[in-house]
Formats: sequence, structure tokens, C-alpha cells
Amino acid sequence: MTTHKERQSQDKRYQITKGALDEVDERFSSSKWLVSALDKIFPDHWSFMVGEIAMDSLIILIVTGIYLALYYVPSSTEVVYAPTSGVVYHPLVGHSMSEAYQSVINLSFNVRFGLIMRQAHHWAALIFLAAVFFHMARIFFTGAFRKPREINWIIGLLLWQIVALEGFTGYSLPDDLLSGDGLRVIYSIIQTIPFIGTWLSYALWGGRFPGTDLVPRLFVVHEFLFPLVIVGLLTAHLMILWHQKHTDFPGPGKTETNIRGSRVWPQYAMKAGGLMMLVASVTFFMAGFIQINPVWLYGPFNTYNVSAGTQPDWYLGWQDGALRLWPHWEFRSFGHEIPNQFFPGLILPGILLTLMFAWPAIDRIIYKDHDRHNLLDRPRDKPFRTGVGAAAVVFFIDLTMACGTDLLANNLHIAFERLIEILQWGAFVGPIVAFFLAYRTCLALQRTGTHPIQRPIGGIIYRTAEGGYHTVGDVHAAHGDHAGDNGHAGVAHAGIDKASAAEHAPDPVAGD
Amino acid sequence: MTTTDDASRTGHDGHDDHVEERIPFGRNPRHFGIDPGDPWPDDVPMDQDDSRWRYQDNPRGAKWAERRVAACWTVTALASIAVCVVYQTGANNQLAGLCWGLAFGGLGVGMILWARDLLPGHDVIASRGNHAISHEGDRIAVAESFGRGTDAMARRPFLVTMLGGIGGILGLGALYGPISSLGPRPHTDLYHTKWGPGVRAVTEQGDPIKPTDIPVDGIMTVFPEGNIDDALSPTLLINVGTSDFDVQPQRVGWNLPTPGGNVVAFSKICTHAGCPASLYNVEKKQLICPCHQSTFDVLLDCKPVFGPAPRSLAQLALAVDQDGYIVSQSDYTREGGGPVGPGFWNRG
Amino acid sequence: MSSLFRTVRRRRWAKGPILLFVIALAVFSVLFLNESPAHSSQALVSDSPQDVAAGQVLYEQHCQACHGYQGSGGVVTGAPALVNVGAAAADFYLTTGRMPLNAPNNEALRHHQTVFTGDEIRQLDSYIAALPTITGKGGASPGIPNVEGLCANQNQAPADLAKTDPGCVTLSEGQELYAINCAQCHQAAGSGGMLSGGNVIPGLHNSDLTQIAEAPMVGPKPMPVFSNLTNAQLSAIAQYVHYLHKPQDPGGFSISHFGPVAEGFIGIAVGFALLWFASRMIGNRG
Repeated sequence: MTTHKERQSQDKRYQITKGALDEVDERFSSSKWLVSALDKIFPDHWSFMVGEIAMDSLIILIVTGIYLALYYVPSSTEVVYAPTSGVVYHPLVGHSMSEAYQSVINLSFNVRFGLIMRQAHHWAALIFLAAVFFHMARIFFTGAFRKPREINWIIGLLLWQIVALEGFTGYSLPDDLLSGDGLRVIYSIIQTIPFIGTWLSYALWGGRFPGTDLVPRLFVVHEFLFPLVIVGLLTAHLMILWHQKHTDFPGPGKTETNIRGSRVWPQYAMKAGGLMMLVASVTFFMAGFIQINPVWLYGPFNTYNVSAGTQPDWYLGWQDGALRLWPHWEFRSFGHEIPNQFFPGLILPGILLTLMFAWPAIDRIIYKDHDRHNLLDRPRDKPFRTGVGAAAVVFFIDLTMACGTDLLANNLHIAFERLIEILQWGAFVGPIVAFFLAYRTCLALQRTGTHPIQRPIGGIIYRTAEGGYHTVGDVHAAHGDHAGDNGHAGVAHAGIDKASAAEHAPDPVAGD
Repeated sequence: MTTTDDASRTGHDGHDDHVEERIPFGRNPRHFGIDPGDPWPDDVPMDQDDSRWRYQDNPRGAKWAERRVAACWTVTALASIAVCVVYQTGANNQLAGLCWGLAFGGLGVGMILWARDLLPGHDVIASRGNHAISHEGDRIAVAESFGRGTDAMARRPFLVTMLGGIGGILGLGALYGPISSLGPRPHTDLYHTKWGPGVRAVTEQGDPIKPTDIPVDGIMTVFPEGNIDDALSPTLLINVGTSDFDVQPQRVGWNLPTPGGNVVAFSKICTHAGCPASLYNVEKKQLICPCHQSTFDVLLDCKPVFGPAPRSLAQLALAVDQDGYIVSQSDYTREGGGPVGPGFWNRG
Repeated sequence: MSSLFRTVRRRRWAKGPILLFVIALAVFSVLFLNESPAHSSQALVSDSPQDVAAGQVLYEQHCQACHGYQGSGGVVTGAPALVNVGAAAADFYLTTGRMPLNAPNNEALRHHQTVFTGDEIRQLDSYIAALPTITGKGGASPGIPNVEGLCANQNQAPADLAKTDPGCVTLSEGQELYAINCAQCHQAAGSGGMLSGGNVIPGLHNSDLTQIAEAPMVGPKPMPVFSNLTNAQLSAIAQYVHYLHKPQDPGGFSISHFGPVAEGFIGIAVGFALLWFASRMIGNRG
């Protein structure tokens, strides 16, 4: 195949590379680690790339965020908008506003490419959290959180929470009317914490809402504290992933003790790099063509104005929805009060998050399973867990819809009172229905053994002269074109019976 | 050709005929195990030839694949130049998005096509090894190492207990001051607004108002004079007309009758989460908060009739000064449903 | 070759600012200089006897059954008396399709097209305006507001406006008044919303200048009345709402300015979904 000339240049390149790597090795003794890094195998099922989308969005957020920080003025000082040069946004001329809001208006109208950076930052944040949610769902439904990966599940949940808070602080920084009312709601939720609530809200805001201390503080939190924590946790997340190796779906030739996939270098790295560029591409297309958060229309924040349709960004919608659906209870005795918004604002998320943090332990008890797992569950094989997940998803969707009750009611032509009642019932009934539907669907699917929306897995198993087994026509063979490929012999594996048994047998615990 | 887990662990299954050749992709087992104690790295596949690529046996296809990648990257190059032109000609947001989208997209699609068509990479199998579990001997060694220290410490149980207590006290000492100094103590601040005896109600522009300025079925946001920015003070004046407004006994004389009307004043701050509850439905005489749809019946002293708000909006006692302008009789009082705004722990 | 590139590039550089200037001028003229549409070029109300008489005929045919003889109000139907409502109310209700009634319980749910022609509406307006004289009850009723134009110089603070340039208004003044009086219901960008009991808050994007100025005076239930606003203030609000029909959207497609919920939906359904499909194509689908 290779000509003499090619061989020569290969050798030359090899000598150069080796020389460079030797220099590195003499300092870090790194060769063995680098081999295992370059040749490390990653299973490349498409659903494993959703986490990569999240990471790529984070990189875009950091880059665009640094740019925005060059222009943003973290100050609540009241100024009168009266620019003397550049593009002037006429409807705000002469209005008093904070310096922060003015800097965002200037960034949007007067800094070339300032608006697209702002919009890319915001869209990347929305995509980031969408990827986080889907990544989390994938981990949950396939049981990837099981031993030995519980810690990474917990780190992931922490990341989700901090990333959502990071999003909220960023949404609040422009100090426009929409975000100001969001901060008012958060202030009133913090105020409800028993014993320390009022004191804490005064400490965080530097006094009575809105004050002048919050914007600079939010800036420090958004630009410094949370990014630091996010990058730190993400590093831990990825190092643990690297160390423990990625999980994989069961399949022909796959066992708990082996891993099947392609090497990082070069193909996987190139694909991952390509996906990152695609994330950037989609983000910037959206930033160019779809307007997001036009703060100049909302106007500067003040304490007495409000706009209809005041909502948080979508990833906090479920918490705002909970506030809308919660009944009008509050408790008062002995001169103290537990106000209404304490329950949907803090207790409900607290309970749900505790359940999620504890889920690896709960799952271990339910399935009496203390083994270490590297192969994933197919959702249908664990009907109870899948049912719980489906219930959680429906609950989440119900609350998220509740956060847009006024918009939805308007578009559906029903009264918002009716819609809220429907969603209140939906928050109870929906998850139960979803649980049983998912449960029954899992049981039904277990009997067929096929993917619900894909062609059946099947094929002919050949026994080779050496005594190995070789499957023709399975989905993996159909995917690439490695029929007759040497590497494919690795699939011919003594563990094939075990693997196919794992694939078709219903779970003994879940089946009852 | 058979590969089992055991074989991949040890790395010796007799492919010695390749020894002289430099095998691509670092898969040559001979480089490991020179030191007999060195195990084969766990997740590195051994002795599986994944050097084949999609168009290896199809030079024509490979040529076209190369051209496809080059075409994608040409798009990137052109779009990157174009984006500079866009900048120079006014930085239109759509054109910038188009150029950047195409630039990144071309690069990404090209990379993916290159990886797919021209770079080697097939599924190979490696051992996961035993990463998460160490040998029992090592585990015992760790427990013993740790135990050496803890045994020694356990001889002084008092110090161990005290260390825990000291940690807590130090935490308090280190955090209490810095956190407290972030903001003032609330004391009774949340009980007070800037209204008071004889404080004039003014509009956003600072103009005082007379009762007749609010027409029947009209609403107006007013502020205590000089304190437009105070978060708890914004108040809604509503002329409820001749409707049957429910005047509680302790609130007699708080409203201002006008010809054909009756002006009442309620706090604009929702008792749920503090948004301005200012959507007024004249037909039903209801105030609605746009944040969480709490609904208050104005004729029933702004009692909540729907939504999460647990308490009525506070009512402000109105009067008219000698010039005929609207003033407040006092700050919001307990009788009026105060303190205004959302609940808090020591509200009681 | 290189010279060709140079000319091409130079021409682009020269053309860009000119093109941009033309576009900016066009945008500016569309936004700020254009005569805003009013629903009729001729007078909206007249005191000519012919118009009043024609209006009376129309009134007796179409309105009297509910609103009673000479606008005295319907005892059985509960329809309000029209003697003192004035031409503004008549004009607003008729031009927006609220009258004759489409949805008795929800005035915001109206006919999509007006029932009467422009001329007929003018005649009815004139008749309603003349009712105090005809019946001898009540005094002068509010007329149709005369919407003032936008000032050529938009760089003035609202406070300076009255002093420097009477007879015209700025968008800035309109924004301030809109934010405190209108945005809580009609949404910051005029996209509308929901009131209690299923009462719809209409979006404002189909209304013309006169209708917007009339609405706060009239207070079409369930909307409250803002008749304390001066003609200049009403004009400023009307001009700002008119600006909101097509506000500056430099960022691209506006998603109807519905805000974060719609943005989140697009973020997931477009942005993330595209990447989802991309990863399906890149990754192994086994």
C-alpha cells in the first residue's frame, strides 16, 4: 500500500515527533500516560455526545463572556441616558437608569459585534442548560449513575444547580425591568427563611431591595465565583470520567470488564472538535438571526413598573411555575410567620434535589444491587426507575408550562385560572399517569426485544475456524463498513452469549 | 485472532512477526512490558488493527472525500474574510451571524467528514482493567497507615472533641463579622414605607394630584413625595366609582369620595413575591399580579381571590390637604393590612 | 490578480458606508419621519347636519335596540347610555370592531373587521357627539384626540419637551408613560396578555394612532380609564405604541417579543435540537 517515498516521510515525521516527545518525557516521564491518553477508547454512541455539547457551550460562554465583561459596567449608580455620539436609542433618551443598564444598551447599539456577542452568550446559555438536562436524563434512564459513578452523579447535580444560578445572575446583570422583577421574587423568597431570612436578604442586597450594592455583587458572583466553581467541578467531573472510563450500552462483544469504542487519537478527537465547531456554528447562527432578550424594549428597572409576561429563563421556569401553582397558604403563630413562597421556593426544590442526590442510594436499595456496573441499563429493563424518571420529566414539564400561564392562556384562549387549575391537577396526576404508562411500555418492550423506533437487532452468528464467533448483520456492522475488517475480529468474543442474554432477558427485580 | 480479556491484560499472544515493523497507532505490545512489572495499560487496545479508513481501497472516493473537506473549509475561509468586511461596513448583526455561523459550521462539517472518510478509527476492544478496586493487600496497607495516626490521636479523646468544637466556633468567628457587615440589620425596616401623616401623593413626574384627577374606573400609580425609588411605597389609587366598596369599620374615612366616584389606595406591592400587582380588571374590579397571577378583589379590600397570594393588599388611609391635594393620613398600619409586601419570618 | 482583488475590495469599502447610510436613512424615515397611519384621511367627526342626520339613521337601525332612544341607555339590556360618552368612545368602539358586540362578556374579543364603513363611522361619531345638544342633557363630551406628530429632534429628555418644542412628542416620553401605565397589561413590547376571568388583553400591533390615543380616554372595559392624561401625553403613548409595531430589532427575528418562555422554547426546539441531530449523525446509533 505505502510507497517508498511515503515510508520515508513517515519515518522522518516519526523521528521529529519522537524527539519532541522525548524532550517532554525527560521532564515529566509522561510517555506511558500519553499512550494511554492517545489510545484511550471512548464508546461513541450518539447520546454520549450531549454532555460534550454542554461542555462546548460552556467554552463559548467563557469566550463571549470575557468579551462582554470588557464593556459591562457593574454599577447601580443612577445616570441619565443622554449619549452625545454613536447610535442613540431614542425611546430611552433622558430616562434615568443604572450605569449597568446603560452599558448594556451601549454594548447592544454602539459596539460593533457587541450585540452578536451578547446574543451568542445568551443563546449558548440556553443551549448549555438544555444539554445539561438531556445529559442528566440520559444518565438517569440508563443507570449510568450506579456504582462506581455515584460521585460523578452528585458532581453533575451540583454543576446543574450552579450553572442554573449562574444563568440567573447573568440574566439579572443588565438591570432591566424584566430581570429586576426576577430579583424581587428571589429577594422575597430569601426573606422567608425561618430565623435568618430578613437578615440574610438585607446582607445580600446591602439593605432594602433594590439598593445599590447588588449589581456589583452579582457581577463578582457571575464573573468570578460561579465560573471558578463550575470550571473546578467540571474538571473533577471529567477527570473522574476519564479515570473510571465511559459506560457503554450492552451489545455483542461487550462485557462489564471490557470497553469497546474508537481511540481518542485521531478520529474521535477530530469528531469531537468538529462537534464543538458545530455548537459554535448553531450558536452564532441563532445569535445573528434570532433576537434574544431585547432589554431596550423592557426599559430600565424601577420598583414600580412591571411588564406582563414576566418570566425567568426557561431552565428556572419550573421553580417559577411552582410559585404560581402553590396554594395560598401561610402559617403564622407566636409572632412569627412562615410565608407562602417559602414552600414552593425553597422546600419543594429542596426535597426534589435531596431525592435526586440520594437517588443512587435509593436505586441501590430498590434493586438490591451493590455491584459495580460499566454496562448501562436499557431503560425498558428497569421499568420502575424508568417510570420514576418519566414521572419526574412530566412533573418538570408541567411546572415549566406553569411558568408561562399568561402566555399559554392567551394562545389557548382559556382563562389563566382554568389553566392554573389544570396544571395544579396535572402536577399530581401527570406524574402518576406517566409512571404507569412508562412502566407498562417497558414491560411490553421487554417482550419484543426491539428498539421502539428502530429496526430489530439481529444477525447471523458464524463460528470461525479458530473457534470465535462472528456476527454478520448486527447494527454495529451495518453502521461502519468494516465487514471483513481485521479489527472486527475483536467482536468475535467468548462473551457474546452473555451479552445477548443481558440484552433480551428482563430484569429479574424489575419484572415483578 | 482470538482476543480475550486475559490476553489483552497480559499483552502476550504471539504476534512476534510484526516486531521489526513500526506499527502505527501505538499498539505495539513490545514497548510495554520491557520492565516485567509493567502491566499493559488498561483501556489501550492491543493488537487490533484499526488502521483502516473508509476510502482506503477506493482512491477515487478518497479523492472526492478530500475535495469535500476542502470545500467545507473553503467556506470557512471565505466566511472568515467576509466577517471582516461585515465589520468594516457597519457590523450588521445578521450578516455577522451568517458569516460566523458558516465559518464555524464549515470547519466543523469538514472536520467531521475528514474524520469519517479519511481517518482511521473502528471499534476496538480493550480491557477496563480493575481501576476502581485495588489489591486487597494495598487496601489493608491504607487502613493500617491511617490507623497508625488515628490510634495515636484517639489516646487524647478530649483534644479530639475539643478540635471539633473549636472548628465550629472558629467558623462562627470567621464568618459572622464579614457576612454581617455585608448589609445593615433589618430591625423593623420592613414595617415602614415612606408614607406618613400628611405626605403628598405624587405621580412619577412628581406632580401632586387631586381626587378628581382620577376618573371613575381609572387607576394611577403614586408615590410619597420625594421617594419615588422606595421599593415598598408605590401605591395604586383606584376610583371604584359607585360600586359597593366594602369599608371595614376600622377603615372608615380612609377613602376619598369624588363626584360619582370613590378613590381608594392600595399598596402596589404584591403580598406574594413583591411584584407590582397592577393589572386592573375594571369589569371584575380585580387587581392581578403579572408575576404569579395572584388576583385581588378591590371591592373586598383587595382580598386575594385567586393565586398564591395569602394576604390582602395593604390599604393606605387617604386625606386631602388644604390645597386639595391627596395626602396619606399615616404610614401603612396593621389595621390597613400592613406591613406591605411579601411575608417574612418575623412579620408575625 | 492582486489588482483585481484590490479594486473589488476598494469598491466594497467605498460602497459599504453609502449603502449603510441609505439603509439607515430608509429605516430612520420609516421609523421616525413617516406619517403614521390614521384610519381616515378626512375629518373623523363633523358637526355638519347631513352627517348627524345620516348618523341618526344608522343609529336607529343598528344601535337603538340596545342603547335606547337617543342614547338614553338600555334598561333591559344593560347597555350603557351614550349621551355623554363623546365621539372618542364612539370612534374607538366602532373602528376597533368592538361594536356591534361580538362577545358580550369580553369586549376584547371583537370582530376582526369593522361592521361599518369609514363614512358610516364618521356619521355615527358625529351623531353621538351631537347627542348632548340633541337631547339637551349633559355638557360637552370628549372629542377624538388629535395625535401630535413626532418631534424631528428625538434627542430631548421628556422633561425638556414641553418647554422646547410644543406641538410634538418624543418616543422617550411615550416610553416612560407606556412603562408605568400600559406595560403591566399590554406587555413591554405591546404583545398583550391575560386578565382574570378569561378577559383577554389584546396585543397592540394592529391598532392605529387614533385608536391608541382614544383607548386610555375611553377605558374600554375591562381596561381602566386614564382620562387624566393630556392630549400630548396620549399622543406620546400613541406614537410609542406605533413604534412598537415595528421596533428596532437589530438582533434579528423577534419571536413576537414574547420574552423568555418563547426564547427558551426556541433555544431547545431549534438550537439544541439541531445539535441533537448533529450528534446523532456523528455518533454511533447502535
